[in-house]
Amino acid sequence: MDQTTVQVLSILILLVTLVLVAVPIRRKYALRRIAAYERMPELTGLAIESNRPLHISFGSVGIGGGSTLLALASADLAYHLSQRAAIGDVSPLISVADTSALPLGQDTLRRAYEARGLANRYRANNVRWYPAGGRSLAFAAAITGLMSTENVSSNVLVGRYGPELALMMDASNRRGLPTIAVSDQLEGQAIAYALTDTPLIGEEIFAAPAYLNDDGKQISESVAVDILRYGVILVMLVGLILELAEGS
Amino acid sequence: MRIRLGAALASVLTISIGLIVLLGLLLPDDLEGAAGLVDATQEITAILLQIVTITVALTIIIGVFNLLTVHASRTARRGRGAIYSLVLLISFIAVLLTYVSDPDESTVLLETVQFSVESALAGLVLFALVYGAYRMMHERVTWARLLFVVVMLVVLIGALPFTNADGFRTMRDWLLEIPVSAGARGLLIGIALATIVTGVRVLIGVDRSYRE
Repeated sequence: MDQTTVQVLSILILLVTLVLVAVPIRRKYALRRIAAYERMPELTGLAIESNRPLHISFGSVGIGGGSTLLALASADLAYHLSQRAAIGDVSPLISVADTSALPLGQDTLRRAYEARGLANRYRANNVRWYPAGGRSLAFAAAITGLMSTENVSSNVLVGRYGPELALMMDASNRRGLPTIAVSDQLEGQAIAYALTDTPLIGEEIFAAPAYLNDDGKQISESVAVDILRYGVILVMLVGLILELAEGS
Repeated sequence: MRIRLGAALASVLTISIGLIVLLGLLLPDDLEGAAGLVDATQEITAILLQIVTITVALTIIIGVFNLLTVHASRTARRGRGAIYSLVLLISFIAVLLTYVSDPDESTVLLETVQFSVESALAGLVLFALVYGAYRMMHERVTWARLLFVVVMLVVLIGALPFTNADGFRTMRDWLLEIPVSAGARGLLIGIALATIVTGVRVLIGVDRSYRE
């Protein structure tokens, strides 16, 4: 595929996505059940009742690189959870491995408190940077320590993780902490699926506004992803049929 | 409807900068009749991307400040894990002093301490996974879990250098080549589509992160 074709296809996909996201959905659209999202209110409730912090981690996502949009999606999820947990006595904790995600995390927590009218209870130090190290193992070690020292009530690990997620999940399981995990890396995603009862899978992390927003108005993103997915499947099937027809 | 000036300004800045960068990246170099526009857009895009790089580099200072304040306050409060925070603060000062006096020595310190500890942790990942598989089967056996453990065992045995394990090796190669590869592509396509949609949301100002 030459450069012009790639550029034309990119513009086409952007335009289609633009229409799908911008056009309001009039029909009632039922979102499919995702166990992890159903469990999230339970985790915030647990944090408030047990007076222990809910821990949300973004992994190694950062702003300015390939994981920028994943960082925004993780922050969106953290916003909804923090907003619910903000009424408790103990603030949620957000941990990041990339310094560029630190201001994002702090802004997310601040907005969550402001949305509840509790801006005076926001503390910037409840968003913490733990250096990742070469293979993010230092970050994993720091998070296992955090679970103990801060006596967290549960973990929501969303963002980018590799095999080091196994160490965090192991520590969490040993402490009997409910954990939800998802990663855009295949190794991390496989571990998340195997070691937690309620994993999020792949792009489900981007659907947080649709599932966690109380007013239910932000479902256009989920609908757009579904329509695009069906489009890709259709293109694949047509390609396969053409290929088979050419062969015979 | 009440519109906050700061939020409106942030939205306008985000949308316009996003569109300029997008145009700069998508417009072809040899666009007929608009060569001047393409050059200007690409130059602005390059400057904006440079600003992003510098800003991201500056966040390291924010990160170090955050790390030090979190651990200094925990040490001062003598809270749970204060001893570890104290060790971190002492290590930080020691590494800083070593780097100022002899940068090479600092690298040796990093290689001998940090790398060895990380390697030891990497070794633990396997045990964490095996324990996870055991835990998974111990709690409740479902078809999905059973399939997961069986596939994991086949792949692990297939990777061992046994002379009479050709069957496992063939099975392992097939698993990695067909179902694993297909599943991985499916996951990655899903993530890519959701990323595009999120990008468009940010671009048209639907995303709330810079509006509040």
